[in-house]
Amino acid sequence: MFAPVRVERVGRRLVYEREGVRKILPDCEIVVNPVEPVNLPKNVTRYLMVEFPPILLKPNSSETIYLKFPIEIGVFAKQGDKVTVVDVFSYEKPKYTLYGSPRRGVVCRWFFSDVWYEIPEVDRLRHGVMRLDIRNGGDWVEVGRVVLDCYAMKIYYDSFASCWAEMRVLGKSTAVTDFLDRPIAKGMRKALELYTARRLMGRSFTMEWGLV
Amino acid sequence: MNVTGFVTFALLTAFGIVVARLISVYLKRTLADRIPKNELNVMLRVINFAVVSVFVLTALPFVGVNPTGLIAAGGFAGLVVGFASRSVVANLVSGIFLMIERPIRIGDQVAIGDVAGFVEDVQILSTIIRTYDGLFVRIPNERVFTSNITNLTANPVRRFEYVVGISYSDDAERAVEVIRRVVEEHPFALKEPEPQIFVDELGESSVNIVVRVWSPSAVWYEVKTELLWKIKVELEKAGIEIPFPQRVVWLRRDRDELGKDVPAREDRGNNDQDSRGGGER
Repeated sequence: MFAPVRVERVGRRLVYEREGVRKILPDCEIVVNPVEPVNLPKNVTRYLMVEFPPILLKPNSSETIYLKFPIEIGVFAKQGDKVTVVDVFSYEKPKYTLYGSPRRGVVCRWFFSDVWYEIPEVDRLRHGVMRLDIRNGGDWVEVGRVVLDCYAMKIYYDSFASCWAEMRVLGKSTAVTDFLDRPIAKGMRKALELYTARRLMGRSFTMEWGLV
Repeated sequence: MNVTGFVTFALLTAFGIVVARLISVYLKRTLADRIPKNELNVMLRVINFAVVSVFVLTALPFVGVNPTGLIAAGGFAGLVVGFASRSVVANLVSGIFLMIERPIRIGDQVAIGDVAGFVEDVQILSTIIRTYDGLFVRIPNERVFTSNITNLTANPVRRFEYVVGISYSDDAERAVEVIRRVVEEHPFALKEPEPQIFVDELGESSVNIVVRVWSPSAVWYEVKTELLWKIKVELEKAGIEIPFPQRVVWLRRDRDELGKDVPAREDRGNNDQDSRGGGER
């Protein structure tokens, strides 16, 4: 059962309400779209780890798979090209994990997905579809998880949310991951992002603590 | 030294301070969203110091002081000043080393000697700590540098541990299962490193179950306090008792010739010997 979200016009103002959240907004455009899934219950990381049943890649080969990823829903107030976030909520229960060692690893939002070879059907309020292009430039390798920097995530949506990522396998336990700024299907709209302003560093993440 | 020279020196120094301030404000506004706050503060402080120093050194000749001469005339005066300002210099040098080594950053939770709390600022001479009960503590950098520093948030994750005692009559396996479920449901109880939940000890009053959970350092304390109560509530819901410390006491009675209850024979003997011992076992 989903908690209702309500926006009501009261005079020249808007009242936004959701399960214990109540905000009064000026008369403006309200945009609701999927956002980077690293904000709830509190933002403690920028990384997303999607774990999946391991797949074996031949030497010097590439593979395209589809995974599900968790989504959070952002509510924005928009006036012209100026945007501010009003609320973020999710219907998917979050879980976090550590990738790497307790001394030098990174905390990640964790999600387990099955593997598909075409766009799967998803519960659009909970999950999106990630297209993952894996390129293996070396020997046989097994891949069972991908860690991505969500501050560089580009979400496109239509009837479901989606993103496109790539993984360049460098060795048995090392890979570089990136988000690509393109939709996985025609006609999708680009979602407003929470972390556009913070991005300064490179967009890629180096997975150096294993691929399975 | 004449009045004009002194005024020029003062004006140049003041101008330097204003320029340094303007540069700091500009950089702060421009870089606030792009560089972590602690790094930005250190950078601004260094820039501020450098700009003011350049202006002061430029202005010194106007009051008849030649900066190169100052260096050359170090000698005895330098020795006297150096000796007098030994602790200041020690703090300054320690501050510079702290900024280079960076064992602590602004916002970290640390314990330095007997002071624990949040690092509010790392200045050139001292470090400011806000203790957990909100007190302002200034520690000279020399002391910070030579003390054992425990940084509670330097690593991305931390582990905490509870010991949960359950009654001997309850099913320990079921209790472990209930606790595991509660831990797994908490978003910040990390999946990896995996939580450890196991029977650790057969205690005097309870079967003791150890619960070890890793959590992001940033939310470690919240998770620790939240989880403990949830575990207690869920164990109670599952009908598992968390017992008070208890001791089983056996009361033994003898009967006299008339069939009345009297304290056991050994106790009577003890009471005869010790008139203060009035209790029964």
